[in-house]
Amino acid sequence: MIQKLLRKTLMPIQLAGYSLALFVGATLLLLIVQFYYDVKPIIKQEAAVFDQTTAVINKEVSLFKTLDKSKIYFSDKEIKKLKKQPFIKDLAPFDYAQFEIKAFTNGSGDVPAFYTDLFFESIPDQYLSVDDNAWKWQEKDSLIPIIIPENYLKLYNFGFAESQGLPVFSKNTIKDFTFNIKLIGQGQNETFKGRIVAFSGKINSILVPHNFMKWANKRFANKTAVPINKVLLTFNDPSDERIVSYFNNHNYSINQDKLALGKLTFFFKSALFFVFFIAVVILVLALAFVLMSINLMLQKNKKMLQNLISIGYAAQKFIYFYQMVLAVLSAVTIGIATFVVFKIRHFYLNKLYTMFDFEDNTNFLLLHALLLFAVVVVCYYILLKQKMKKII
Amino acid sequence: MHFSLQNTKPSYMERSELEGSEVYLQENVVFEQGKKYLIKAQSGKGKSSLLNFVYGLNTTFEGQIKYANSLSFSVSCQRRFSYVFQDFKLFEDLTVLENIVLKNQLTQHKTQEAIETMLQTVGLLAKKDTLLGKLSLGQRQRVAVIRALCQPFTFLLLDEPFSHLDAVNIKILTTLINQELAAQNAGLLLTSLGSEYLFDYDKILLL
Repeated sequence: MIQKLLRKTLMPIQLAGYSLALFVGATLLLLIVQFYYDVKPIIKQEAAVFDQTTAVINKEVSLFKTLDKSKIYFSDKEIKKLKKQPFIKDLAPFDYAQFEIKAFTNGSGDVPAFYTDLFFESIPDQYLSVDDNAWKWQEKDSLIPIIIPENYLKLYNFGFAESQGLPVFSKNTIKDFTFNIKLIGQGQNETFKGRIVAFSGKINSILVPHNFMKWANKRFANKTAVPINKVLLTFNDPSDERIVSYFNNHNYSINQDKLALGKLTFFFKSALFFVFFIAVVILVLALAFVLMSINLMLQKNKKMLQNLISIGYAAQKFIYFYQMVLAVLSAVTIGIATFVVFKIRHFYLNKLYTMFDFEDNTNFLLLHALLLFAVVVVCYYILLKQKMKKII
Repeated sequence: MHFSLQNTKPSYMERSELEGSEVYLQENVVFEQGKKYLIKAQSGKGKSSLLNFVYGLNTTFEGQIKYANSLSFSVSCQRRFSYVFQDFKLFEDLTVLENIVLKNQLTQHKTQEAIETMLQTVGLLAKKDTLLGKLSLGQRQRVAVIRALCQPFTFLLLDEPFSHLDAVNIKILTTLINQELAAQNAGLLLTSLGSEYLFDYDKILLL
């Protein structure tokens, strides 16, 4: 009976309006958040192992410098001056191997046989954003984790492998292979295993863990410090215009493409954030809309509700009723929104798979939908209680 | 159970307006369970206000109302009072029967048969499925009384309950009310403009 009375107070058009607003807001919000999670690893992968605000500089190699190699090194004074620039947050010089390195396989399994000279460089680990578990080396470890430039793999897959009839490798499959590495110097030699654990898009170098480099230089070259020829920079803001002009003036070479990529990611993230913001605004408007509707409905039926309380009904009962109506409506709406986002995600993932090589990500959609539903329901509960108190 | 009014006065009335009242501004007016009280007054003297104060619907009064030694009006107090409001507080969108069942669902005091018997007694059984909005004032008054009887109570509050009824119907209703009062050993507070002697009052008070 009480249900029948309360049901008559509901206004279908307003509920439909609320439902529509919630649907648009929830779809946008869930889509943006899920899209962000899906695309994050691609951005990471494409922008390589360095994070967005870093770049590598070295000195331009000219005719004179090929004769006098000492000109390609950075002096202490130059490093100090660089450190003082307002747009530079931090810098780290590269360490490089001063001993002979041979890489080879015996040609067993899928790995083609090869034997080649190699070079290694390193920077302190905190400047690299690779998985900590994969990127570690301790004395007596026989396996050396290695980062190679993404270009090397492309060069091999589309140039070398094609012409020599060798198998091609994806980023993931190559991570499963190991090969032999022989270090020679100071009259000693030692053989290790090497494994490629990540790819770098920003820097043309073969990187190994910093502590390994220090250990190996000491053992095979008897050197603890090497002249600096390359520096990794961290910027406060990669879109700062002073960066490019400063390096041009000092004849430092910098990979500007990577800076551009940094800017692009910045714009991409800003755009995502903007849409996220709009989605939140729409959701807040949907909530405000339903609250105004509730307010109007309570005002319109004030007398009836007061009469019900007069004959002994508790206001809690009405709150519960409206709470249930809104909860069911919100659940259905968010459910439909989740389904739509699920379909859209399916569509864009298919597109992305054709363009990028990346692993499938965890689907947070249901979790987020539940979270959104919980937030919405808690909001109603608090606001309904307050409104009801005011009116009755 | 009993309740008492101590130096009570509606906040919105002047002391001079209440001169001669045997209820307002009295040191201690006690209403006891099982007794019948008639409260007489002209209109505008605060009859409905008095019942609303007692029922806890209106708290704009000075002084104190004590419910069996407890000062405040609580939900458990409300359960002890049944009230026939002057404006009925019925629901026009519900039928006669639904209006009554709405209350009975809270209390589970009467069976469906008992309710229909009462409707039969007051001559409204044929109208039980009619929307309340289509009833006359006199018919609504009878529905309001039956609804009030659908709960356990120690006091029945009647606010000018027979103002739209003829003598025959008044007789039927008073009999019905008397039966329920006796069955529940409850007290009665009836406010009225005139001095119709409808019940065996234990006390008649001038407001």
